[in-house]
Amino acid sequence: MAEANPIQEGFLCPICHKDLRSPKKLINHFQDLHSEEQDILKSIKDFYGKAKKKILKLDDQDLETFKNEITLENLYLECSEPQPPGCSTSHTDFFKSIRRERLEHQTAETNKLVIRLDKLLRLDNTDRKQQEQILVAWLDGTTVNRCPSCAATFNIARRQHHCRLCGSIMCNDCSVFLSFERAQSIVVPVQNLGITNKEGTRGRENDNFRICSHCSDMLEQRRIVQAEQMMQPIITQLYAHLQKLKSQVDSLVELYQKMYASLTSGESTFQLQDAQSLKASIGTKAETIDTISKKICSLPILEPNPKVEMLQNSIRRATSNYIKDYLLTLPPLPSIKELAAIKENRLLRVSKEDNEQNVNTVKIKRVTVTTGWSPSSLENSVQSDTESDPLMEQINIVRNYITQARSAQRFEEVVALEENLRMLKKAYRQNQLAKTEETKENNYQLQ
Amino acid sequence: MNVIAAVKAYVTKITEESEPGMKLLMMDKETTSIISMVYSQSEIQQKEVYLLERITDSQNQSSTALKYLKCLVFLRPTAENIKLLCYELTRPKYGTYYIYFSNIIAKADIKLLAEHDEYEVVKEVQELYMDYLAVNPHLFSIGLPNAIKDLTWDSFALQRSVAGVVSVLLSLKKCPVIRYQANSKLCREFGMKVNDLINKESTLFAFGQNSQSLLLIIDRRDDPITPLLNQWTYQAMVHELLTINNNRVNLSKLSGIPKELSEVVMSAEQDSFYAKNIFLNYGEIGQNIKQLMDHFQVKAKSHQKIENIADMKNFVDTYPQFKKLSGNVTKHVTVVGELNAMVNKYQLLDVSEVEQEITSQNDHSGHLQEIKKLIDNEKVRPIDLVKLVILYTLRYQNHANNETQGLIEMLKRRDISSDLLMNIIFVLEYARSITRDNDLFNVEDAVKITKRFFKGLSGVDNVYTQHRPLLQEILEEIVKGKLKDNSYPSIGLSSFNNRAQDIIVFMIGGATYEESLSVHSFNRNHPGFKVLLGGTTIHNSKSFLEEVKHAVSNIPRKHTRKIRNIDCK
Repeated sequence: MAEANPIQEGFLCPICHKDLRSPKKLINHFQDLHSEEQDILKSIKDFYGKAKKKILKLDDQDLETFKNEITLENLYLECSEPQPPGCSTSHTDFFKSIRRERLEHQTAETNKLVIRLDKLLRLDNTDRKQQEQILVAWLDGTTVNRCPSCAATFNIARRQHHCRLCGSIMCNDCSVFLSFERAQSIVVPVQNLGITNKEGTRGRENDNFRICSHCSDMLEQRRIVQAEQMMQPIITQLYAHLQKLKSQVDSLVELYQKMYASLTSGESTFQLQDAQSLKASIGTKAETIDTISKKICSLPILEPNPKVEMLQNSIRRATSNYIKDYLLTLPPLPSIKELAAIKENRLLRVSKEDNEQNVNTVKIKRVTVTTGWSPSSLENSVQSDTESDPLMEQINIVRNYITQARSAQRFEEVVALEENLRMLKKAYRQNQLAKTEETKENNYQLQ
Repeated sequence: MNVIAAVKAYVTKITEESEPGMKLLMMDKETTSIISMVYSQSEIQQKEVYLLERITDSQNQSSTALKYLKCLVFLRPTAENIKLLCYELTRPKYGTYYIYFSNIIAKADIKLLAEHDEYEVVKEVQELYMDYLAVNPHLFSIGLPNAIKDLTWDSFALQRSVAGVVSVLLSLKKCPVIRYQANSKLCREFGMKVNDLINKESTLFAFGQNSQSLLLIIDRRDDPITPLLNQWTYQAMVHELLTINNNRVNLSKLSGIPKELSEVVMSAEQDSFYAKNIFLNYGEIGQNIKQLMDHFQVKAKSHQKIENIADMKNFVDTYPQFKKLSGNVTKHVTVVGELNAMVNKYQLLDVSEVEQEITSQNDHSGHLQEIKKLIDNEKVRPIDLVKLVILYTLRYQNHANNETQGLIEMLKRRDISSDLLMNIIFVLEYARSITRDNDLFNVEDAVKITKRFFKGLSGVDNVYTQHRPLLQEILEEIVKGKLKDNSYPSIGLSSFNNRAQDIIVFMIGGATYEESLSVHSFNRNHPGFKVLLGGTTIHNSKSFLEEVKHAVSNIPRKHTRKIRNIDCK
């Protein structure tokens, strides 16, 4: 029985047991071949109808939830990946060429004044007026009846005066007096930058140059530009320090993250205590950064200026955000126990893989000091015992390097050096083994 | 084809070119919006930009110079801005200036600036092309509501939109084939202008026209339905009910909102909860908010229970994240709570169900009954009723038993103001105005057009989201290469490849967040295609009705003369 009628599944024809694969085909098949069996056909149809209702209803529901899942659950916005900037057009060169045309004239003019001033300062005091006129040709005043700048008529009370720098004519009221001292500071700009009162003292002619307001303005503008270039307010100094520390911390954080990833994946490249000390030093750096930003924030504001206050607060806020989001969110290191568990897991995994692959390759790494750091003062620290062999000596040196590297927080170098040390030890052991065997052999021969 | 990333890349360029140092960013009103769509203030602070300043305020403030600051200037190249900047350069308050314009600037203007730079403080002058609001990676807006006046372009709006779209093309390095909706003069005019500008600036577009990319210009009038519907996905819903303006939602007018939440930022770039839920529907957001709350409460509890040093250490480690999370939780709970209150108060689920039925099914008497029932419901807002009648009329205007006038009478009996009722006329005039051009050449059956508005999709997954915007249909046609040449002709090219991969759709009269969702899911389902949607603005129903009013209120009635019981004067 069992052999003759194996259990069949599917849309079987009740008469010929043929599998028709789909209800529709089954009905068609029945109508074509077994049309005489009407009630069976009817029952199949009925049965199929009922099943269809049930199945389809289920399908609809499933379909709906399924659809919800694909149409809605998966729809969200990803973070935008960085992309290279689009087109841009630089007008800087065009801008500068136009600016140069315009400014050349003024610069040349100012320079001429400075050179003349320099020469004027070198004059000895005897017969100054004449020498001044030799240097700068004075304008002929015979046809000038009014002061060009204030339009007052010249008379006995209001006499004509000449600018010592350009030779033009003005009245006493329109003259500006440039003291020798200030003239000196203009010619040699490093000195006396602190003086800010714009106009020279009027009235005394002894140790002053009488100049016109036009020349005075040009010299003054030059002085301001130079003074600003030299000025370095405290805030910029503090800020530069802050940024320098930040960039140092950034590289430490990068290293820490590398170490963290390596440690938590169970690798033994880095030491836990090294990561801990690195984290601690990031912490101290963070504190220093915090202190500096506080200092910036509380810098005294000389004149009431809301912008300076905003700037200081803003730097403070940005720094504390930076510390909060970037430095305090560093993942905590696993404890020694956790680390051991991680390592064990990895060992199991690795040994499994090793068994599978049966690969036994020893990688030889070379020590490369890439960041410009190198251990120092080796001679002092190496206590060379005369009896120890060169390998042992090498091992001692490398050990020393490691402690140095560690204290300098060069953990990548530590890793490389430790690799080196391991290889040295191995070589040393082999050497020793060979030696003892040799001595054994020798002994044997002696016997 | 990611506008957010494009703007970010430009901003990074600006901040990096100026070398390290304390910086101030000087902007105008519009560029402030452009930047703030993408960066928060705390993010831009990390790029050493510590102060922000409006150029209009610049010279009004105390004149103390801060020469140790670098001034980054990012402005639109307008005459007003050039004037202000010239003034600034003659009295420079900052040490150096790096000047960037958001679009193409005339050589004469650069010359003018150079002539004013007497102190030689300017280090850079550049054009960067980000003259648009990047809303989502696949969505941008020009920020111009009411661009159409009396069914023609407002000349300023046209110029501004052309500049905006051209800057999108340049920021993505695309020089596309331009196709426009044939029955819209607005689209044609816009397309021509864009084409002219591309030809004029051929050196900028030196990377060459590429049939791989397509700029498709379509008219809002072709689909006036989508902006009228109540929305149920998070972003769209927030915009519909609370209005999102430059990623900001103003909650200050609502009662019982604490002061720190009077304006909340809804930016997917900075808020991962929002990014994850932006396209989810109302029900799911509720669940996710609950999860977020639970998660938060667990955290909060663990923070309360500090018993030993280890707990304390743990607390310190996780506190910053906790603080961030708590701000986020409060924000979303408040927003969703507000949505929830409005949905219940105004019975929006019932309203929306009828709206959706009208848009995607054919049952005149049934729909009429439903609308009448809602008109009798005192809780339903007048504006929702007016929108329902608009939908009904658009759908059944030519139906033998059309009862628009009867419905209007019912609305009048509910004391709905005539200002609101006028919207019915306005939208109808607006919607029909687009076929007017067409009628001259081929008389397309109004019913057929109506059907196009309302064509539903076969699979119904949610009663409240049955409607599919027309845009989706257009995109499907593009995929199949079936977008008709005579309905969407191209400019300048006689023959072109019908199978563009990078498609920029620009919608004159404003896009919607529902369409944004369509585009996003289209991009997901068609990995070979990349679609970017843009609009003169992003509408909700309120702003759309404003735009429609602006567009047609001065135009004599042509298509609604039969509706006699509303007087528009």
